[in-house]
Amino acid sequence: MARQQGWFALILALAIAAGALLVSFPLQLGLDLRGGSQLTLQVLPAGSIKSVQKEQLEAVKDVLDRRINGLGVAESTLQTVGDDQLVLQLPGEQDPSRAAKVLGTTALLEFRAQTSGTEQEMTGLLKLKRQAQAVLNQSRARAAAIANGQPEPPETQFKAEDLARSLQQLGVAIPPGSSETEQLELLLAAVNSKVVALFEPATLTGRDLTGAGRQQQQSGSGWDVTLSFNSEGGRKFAELTKDIAGTGRLLGIVLDGRSISEATVGPEFKPAGITGGGASITGNFSAEEARDLEVQLRGGSLPLPVKLIEVRTVGPSLGAENIRSSLIAALSGLALVAVFMVVVYRLAGLVSVLALSLYALFNLAIYALIPVTLTLPGIAGFILSIGMAVDANVLIFERVKEELRAGNTLIRSIDTGFSLAFSSILDGHVTGLISCVALFALGTGLVKGFAVTLAIGLVLSLFTALTCTRTLLRLLMSYPALRRSTYFLPAAQLPASAS
Amino acid sequence: MSTTTAPAASSLPTPRFRISRHRRLAWWGSSLACGLSVIGLALCWLNPAIGAPLRPGLDFTGGTQIQLERRCDGACTPLNPSQVQRRLAGLQPPVQAGEEAPNLAATAVQVLDQGRSLVLRLPDLNPEQAAVVISAVQAEAGALNPAATAIDTIGPTLGDQLLKGSVISLLVSFAAIAAYITFRYDRIFAALALLCLGHDVLITCGVFAWLGLIAGIEVDSLFAVSLITVAGYSVTDTVVVFDRIREQKSLLSALSVSDQVDVAVDATLTRSLYTSLTTLLPLVALIFFGGSTLFWFAVALTIGIAVGSWSSIGVAPTLLPLFSRR
Repeated sequence: MARQQGWFALILALAIAAGALLVSFPLQLGLDLRGGSQLTLQVLPAGSIKSVQKEQLEAVKDVLDRRINGLGVAESTLQTVGDDQLVLQLPGEQDPSRAAKVLGTTALLEFRAQTSGTEQEMTGLLKLKRQAQAVLNQSRARAAAIANGQPEPPETQFKAEDLARSLQQLGVAIPPGSSETEQLELLLAAVNSKVVALFEPATLTGRDLTGAGRQQQQSGSGWDVTLSFNSEGGRKFAELTKDIAGTGRLLGIVLDGRSISEATVGPEFKPAGITGGGASITGNFSAEEARDLEVQLRGGSLPLPVKLIEVRTVGPSLGAENIRSSLIAALSGLALVAVFMVVVYRLAGLVSVLALSLYALFNLAIYALIPVTLTLPGIAGFILSIGMAVDANVLIFERVKEELRAGNTLIRSIDTGFSLAFSSILDGHVTGLISCVALFALGTGLVKGFAVTLAIGLVLSLFTALTCTRTLLRLLMSYPALRRSTYFLPAAQLPASAS
Repeated sequence: MSTTTAPAASSLPTPRFRISRHRRLAWWGSSLACGLSVIGLALCWLNPAIGAPLRPGLDFTGGTQIQLERRCDGACTPLNPSQVQRRLAGLQPPVQAGEEAPNLAATAVQVLDQGRSLVLRLPDLNPEQAAVVISAVQAEAGALNPAATAIDTIGPTLGDQLLKGSVISLLVSFAAIAAYITFRYDRIFAALALLCLGHDVLITCGVFAWLGLIAGIEVDSLFAVSLITVAGYSVTDTVVVFDRIREQKSLLSALSVSDQVDVAVDATLTRSLYTSLTTLLPLVALIFFGGSTLFWFAVALTIGIAVGSWSSIGVAPTLLPLFSRR
């Protein structure tokens, strides 16, 4: 009996520890329960890199970490997943479009001098670009106004034949049935690549930046982005501007292959170029665009391009609803099982309900300890594991009943029941765990949450079914008043000789 | 009844319930269910709108799903899905350089809860485009509750990855379970346990194929999870009966295999039913109270575990005599 008491003391200590753990370390809730956005980014191999290596994934993560910090989102977490994916969690964020934009771009900044002898072509292209952009902006504003049910602003149109001619000149085929907006976008893309092609390869890139800032334009409402270079960058910038000063050639500022600004350098910079290690990009940015660009430039450019492959956004009240419904489901599931066990197995059933409550407590404590982030599928795994945990008790108690019917004494029946049921219980748990391992190794986010909670549940239920139930039952059996077979099964099923 | 503690030649157990007497009925029932499942899967595959054995959900096809709740006091004004569809078709969402504009004309709009909530199925949208779509819906449906909005976007590459991952993890877990069972039991037991596993998974899939055909129910990665869980559970259930047959082999050697099976099934019948019931009870709670996200997941598990319980009583043991005779 001393051994049973030792076990009992251990179980009691564990229960108290688990309770204390739960009080001091609250459970971590996933975004589907608390509301927020989750973005999954895939790092793509590019250029000479055929597959993404661990160091490259870490390098991408470093850059993105800096950008996220620059955005100033509270409590965000960025984790690497698998070989080539990153998951960003933004609790409470309901509009991830800004984060998606800032994270998704490579932000490779290049300063490139215009190739000499292309001045005329450049002027034509830039004029076309301004025109197309203006028409496009207006037609977008119009579409937005229609969508929001506001009165429509007057329509400005690029003359259809002008548009067609410009596209033809640029060698762009017009897709049949395309709308004006689509054609304008094609035109802009074509003009942009032509413009970029008129610049020489970059001598100065964002790598030589030490900082970035933004300031409002003195005239006009737009914003400029200011840059400061390191000494190497300052020297290169001076050289670059000296080369083109007063020649009419433009300085192109190219971001991710798109020309965002084409600047002239006045003849006064001919002797030494623009010195001082600073520059500013006048791109007529909105306040937000300027801030985002600043954040991206400060964070540095991504060593490899990334692609947004998954975005999940859950509103906070939906999350609260999910918590409420899964809590009700878990509690009513537990209650149903408890009623069933007590009705069918009487005293033993009551003991198993106690063991089951301990099981639930230990489970939650382990979630807090590891820590496991609870998601909706995770809770489903937990609820399912309740059912499976009881299975072990059913197997044992059925065996105990059988032994009792055969006329064995109560204590002996209990011991035999536990030892004979062990083999089936073990097989069941091992096959269950095999499924969990397969799910965890190959599954993605949602699936993993389920696999983790189910696996923890299976391992724990081995412990509670075999140890807690047994110890509690043996302890109760030390009270002669409880040592009655009729507390275990109806008297009618007992052989006549047994009491 | 028990033969484990005091066996005697004279007290050979006589089962109250003899499963082998009903085996033809059991086989017919299971064959019929399997046949219907195969037909359902085939019809799904041949259906040009589906083109796969099961109707793939957002997880596998990729795309964006937007769930919205209208803010209306009392009764919501009626909302026609085609109105929303038409507005979205005329929408021109912002497009990033180098990317194609999503085709919003193909949006599927569902109005649920007496017009209170909306579910949109769209092509793959970036968050900015999703915001434009939501504001367009707002113009048609009136004020929305932003706290109850859910947006899921799965890119096409991730959809492929999820599908591949699900199929691979299904196959790997089946293979691993087969290996474990073969290691623990003899080859006939293992083969039958795996046959049952196939039976249970096939019927679960079949039910969802029919649901996909009739009610448009889709399968997602959680469905794959439920199949793997069902597979594990199916084997567990079957093993309980086989464990008993193995344990009694020496004690009951005088009996025919078919009688041995009857004794084992009779002895384990209550516990087979009870273990399934204790697993089904929490699942039923999940179906009724777990909310929409977990509803079909819980349904799939419930079907799979109920079928698994049936096959462990009616299919695996009754087939054993056929195999053992050879």
